Amino acid sequence: MADAGTPMTTGVSKTPAEFLKAIKGKAVLVKLNSGVDYRGILACLDGYMNIAMEQTEEYVNGQLKNKYGDAFIRGNNVLYISAINKSAS
Amino acid sequence: MADDGETATVKEPLDLIRLSLDERIYVKLRGERELRGRLHAYDQHLNMILGEVEETLTTVEIDDETYEEIIKTQKRVIPFLFVRGDGIILVSPPLRS
Amino acid sequence: MLFFSLFKTLVGKEVTVELKNDLCISGALHSVDQYLNIKLTNTRVHNEQKYPHMMSVRNCFIRGSVVRYVHLPPGAVDVEVLHDATRREARGG
Repeated sequence: MADAGTPMTTGVSKTPAEFLKAIKGKAVLVKLNSGVDYRGILACLDGYMNIAMEQTEEYVNGQLKNKYGDAFIRGNNVLYISAINKSAS
Repeated sequence: MADDGETATVKEPLDLIRLSLDERIYVKLRGERELRGRLHAYDQHLNMILGEVEETLTTVEIDDETYEEIIKTQKRVIPFLFVRGDGIILVSPPLRS
Repeated sequence: MLFFSLFKTLVGKEVTVELKNDLCISGALHSVDQYLNIKLTNTRVHNEQKYPHMMSVRNCFIRGSVVRYVHLPPGAVDVEVLHDATRREARGG
């Protein structure tokens, strides 16, 4: 476990669990097995990789198709979760 | 928000579904299907019972001559529906104020 | 256990089971188990022209995992009772 006093950025998290903990409340990109992308703020997630997101945008083939205030994504559909570096995008 | 002793905080993803009980939700399913209906029951698998459901089925056809994609949507209304959770991709609750 | 309990209360009622391969079967709910496998009696297949091999089927067992929807008779379930049972289930984990 990371020391509570240590500011942990996504770059230095060592394990998958630490990474997931570190990106809570941050902007993320979630890719599903179908290829559909979701961009938004990661509210929380559980052991099944079920995900709750806020201000979610749905991209199909790179095109914005939908927006959701809140969204629950069922974990079995998730291919990966990636932190979005805001300054870079 | 916390009217009957339930907290309105989202600590785990399923809380988002819990807070949507008896509200109209949007559900995205596999096979280009979407549902809009009132959430009456759910469990940890995301099996659900929805009331006054409108199902939208989207199909893409290719025009024989122009090869253009023709997107068609079929809608139907189902009064009371059990939905098996394994087909669910995404659930979106109504906007919370 | 919520939906297992619910389906048990619907035994004897007329339901329509829609499968993931789009086959639609109506019939009386004979029984259900913990996996939500379903037995139907006195069945009728919608769109029989498309599924002629189902014409003489009168009873069937449906594996729970192939079910997409079950259309339930409205009014057969008290929604207030459903809400309470769902909240209890959510608390229990």
